[in-house]
Amino acid sequence: MDDLFAPPTYAWQRLSPRWVSLRRLTTLLVAPLVLSVPALVVGLAFDLWWLAGILWGLAAVIVVVRWFLVRRTYRSWGYVEREDDLYITSGVLFRSLIAVPYGRMQLVEVASGPLERAFGLATVTLKTASAETDASIPGLDPAEAARLRDRLTELGEAQASGL
Amino acid sequence: MSQPPVPTTQASTTEAPAGVAPATPASSDAPVVPAPADAPPVKQTERPHPLTPFIRGWLVLVAVVVGFAPRLVDNPDERASLARLGLGWILLGVLVLCLAAAAAGYVSWRFTRFVIDDEELRIETGVLFKTSRKVAFERIQSVDIIQPFAARLFGLGELRIEAGAGDSGLRLRYLSRTKAARLRDYLLARAHGSSARLADSEDALAPDVLFDAGVADTTLVTVSPQALVGSFLTSTEFLVPLLVTVFFAVLAGVTGIGVVALGGIVPMVFGVFSLVSRRVIAMFHFTLAESSRGLRVTRGLTNLTSQSVPVDRIQGVRLCQPVLWKPFGWWRVDVDIVGYGARDRENNSGEATSVLLPVASPAQVRVALSRVLPGFTVDQIPLQGVPRRARWFRWFDWWTLRYGWDDRAIVTEHGLLVHERHIVPHAKTQSVRIEQGPLQRRLGLADVHVDTPKGPVHAVARQLDAGAARELALTQLDRARAARDAAAVTADPAAETRPESPEERASADAVLAELGTDRDRFLGEGGESQVFALDDERVLRLYRGGAAPGSPVVGQVRELYGFWERARPADGYGVELPLVLDAGTSHGRVWTVDRRFVGGSLSSWLATAPLAGRRAALTSLLDAAEAVARLPLPVPGFARLVGEDAPRSYPTLVELLHAMLEGPTSRSRDHLARDVPDVGRVWDGLFRDLGQRVVAPALVHGDFCAPNVYVSPGPEDNPEGGAPRVTGVGDFSPHTLQADPLMDLTGAVAFLELEPYEGAVADSEWLLGVAVSRHGPEVARWIGVYRRYFAFYFSDTAEVEPRTYAWCLRQLDRV
Repeated sequence: MDDLFAPPTYAWQRLSPRWVSLRRLTTLLVAPLVLSVPALVVGLAFDLWWLAGILWGLAAVIVVVRWFLVRRTYRSWGYVEREDDLYITSGVLFRSLIAVPYGRMQLVEVASGPLERAFGLATVTLKTASAETDASIPGLDPAEAARLRDRLTELGEAQASGL
Repeated sequence: MSQPPVPTTQASTTEAPAGVAPATPASSDAPVVPAPADAPPVKQTERPHPLTPFIRGWLVLVAVVVGFAPRLVDNPDERASLARLGLGWILLGVLVLCLAAAAAGYVSWRFTRFVIDDEELRIETGVLFKTSRKVAFERIQSVDIIQPFAARLFGLGELRIEAGAGDSGLRLRYLSRTKAARLRDYLLARAHGSSARLADSEDALAPDVLFDAGVADTTLVTVSPQALVGSFLTSTEFLVPLLVTVFFAVLAGVTGIGVVALGGIVPMVFGVFSLVSRRVIAMFHFTLAESSRGLRVTRGLTNLTSQSVPVDRIQGVRLCQPVLWKPFGWWRVDVDIVGYGARDRENNSGEATSVLLPVASPAQVRVALSRVLPGFTVDQIPLQGVPRRARWFRWFDWWTLRYGWDDRAIVTEHGLLVHERHIVPHAKTQSVRIEQGPLQRRLGLADVHVDTPKGPVHAVARQLDAGAARELALTQLDRARAARDAAAVTADPAAETRPESPEERASADAVLAELGTDRDRFLGEGGESQVFALDDERVLRLYRGGAAPGSPVVGQVRELYGFWERARPADGYGVELPLVLDAGTSHGRVWTVDRRFVGGSLSSWLATAPLAGRRAALTSLLDAAEAVARLPLPVPGFARLVGEDAPRSYPTLVELLHAMLEGPTSRSRDHLARDVPDVGRVWDGLFRDLGQRVVAPALVHGDFCAPNVYVSPGPEDNPEGGAPRVTGVGDFSPHTLQADPLMDLTGAVAFLELEPYEGAVADSEWLLGVAVSRHGPEVARWIGVYRRYFAFYFSDTAEVEPRTYAWCLRQLDRV
């Protein structure tokens, strides 16, 4: 990881390793499901099974590529809590680093979809007054998510500044 | 709170909770009539003006016509079928439509009631589903008056109240212009935190048919019609559709296919019409004015909209310059206000617009920015460019990408066809992002986003070198935090006074009851005591718990006042002084009954006063400080007059001031050592300077600030007429000394900075200028010295009054 996205202090905290499994599962499921719909439509309605075959082949390629990228995606996610702000980094192709000051946090959400619950994971989302602040950390251990939520809320209240 | 019944021109009855109150004419406020003792008093609500249904009916009609007209133009078949129906039927249909609209308007009017008084702002609407919407005064962000064309003819207007991002706004249709102006004035005063009363806003000037100017409004910028039309015709958003239309027309002509033209031209033409409506008609006669209640924007040809601009909610400013405006030097200024973010498409219906100036010359832009970002010097921020590598991405305008910052705001620029400059004050930064795509990574470039709430401002420093990007992002966070801390410290005046503990409250209630007054008659409070009214001539001063029973302060202060009262010359001292009529201790609380001052505290008056009046009053503040210095001295020489073992004399000024600082600095030693770099050197420097001061002892109040001083309209023989002047000085305390009279002058100038109203710092600098013009340039030097003295003196407030402590630190940094 280059200097631009190096953590400001200490080292990045990583997501829970179970996130890798969850991600692999969704990779196996999503692309094939999504591409099956047009494939079936094309095949059944227009009898162009060769086109359906191409679509399925495309799905397979996507699955393979993403499978091998899951590890790298996992390594690209990181967060670190400093004294006054929270840093989150993510992205493989399109990297980003976002820093949210505690005083600007308006809302901290912990959410857990059905698949996430199955793997024992949760997502923490921070909202500020700006809609472009897209700060969310997926794949966290529920205990860690709760700890983060409580700490952030407390710090947010303590340092809250009005608009 | 009940008022005595006042006879009105129309009999009014107490409203039964479920019933409907009789309609009140818009010109008089129905008073609250006290109900019999067994029922709680119920508020009487008002309805909007009775002509409202007609106007709403008319607007519906206009909307219908406008809605149907394009379809008629588009479809010749529909036109033909309508023509077949015959003119009579069409007119009948239109008439029915109007009546239906009027009926709907009437029903809606009948079920709309509102209450705007000293306690609350509430509107109730709804026929089947009754909705009651209430907005707290402090959450009011802006109050606008919109006069649609029909309403203007009848002298009515709509009052629209915006309440920030989280709350919905309120719309009151339609009120008479006078009433709307009065309510706007009152609501804006309340929104700024002053405890104005509705009855006080009688003198607001009503907007007339064409303009809307209050009594004390100064027009800052007016956009001339020529500039507006000219700028519109040369703007890219007009020219591009125009060129497309021309292209399609030419194409149709050349190829001979008419359909192509229709498909391309007709939507474009309507787009252009809508654009004209938004940019020209809605912005006609755009005026930016400064009133006593803040900034106001008035605009509109058919719908006159008058909208207040909440300066403290502004999150960022965007300046735009389409390329064809360059020869004229025109810029367009938009502001990002929380809650207006989704309104980039401002239209003619009077929606609050985020446009501050649709077109302005550089001088006008500077004036507007000086009001909107007070104290910022954005034109002087040096801007840096981006590395040449950026031309791989933005080969068309990479040289226009620039960014820069100073200690108050960050500025980013981009764009060739439309040059945009985004300014975000550090204090308004929400979050900071670094984004880098794969190609950017190859070239070592990145973008830095400074996020603000939704609106026209998006400050993005594009295509920066990676190292520069990281540095910008991280330092931006530091700057944002520093700005937030500074803002927090100066923002909340209410945080100054410690809240009462429950024991204090109970004992206070007991004393109040005993002496025949109650909490409703609370007048004000300071760090040491709370004041309640007893009657027109006397007030009760209740000292905060913690004044030790054996404390001599009250007795000494009483003696001092008595001494001055006895030594009073025939024509007075030039200012009123306090007088203690009675004193005692009850329920563990020390209290005195004092003579009541004429007028009110300068501090609360300053918050609502217009600029010209303020400056006149502040000049009289200097007069009052000089008057205090001329008071007779109870003991000879330099002395401390109130406190333990007082009065106590000292041989020199330096020894007196050293003794005065001993107490506070012993308490604040640790804080100062931590917060002031090299505090020992500052301390030595202060006493070195004080040692050079040669002056005869005069009376010094010691805490000469706006809350301790009283203003009232001057006497009738005053050449300035009724302009308020400082007429009383109160709250002499353990700070009272016989020392250098320049100390009170310093207090008058320096403590003004702590006042919570906008413009306090500017007024403080101005007052320093007045003092220098009166007493010569030397006085500025000594004011600087005594600023440091007071900074040490009040430095023990780190925990109880953080704002004051922050002020102290700023003074000690000035060395």
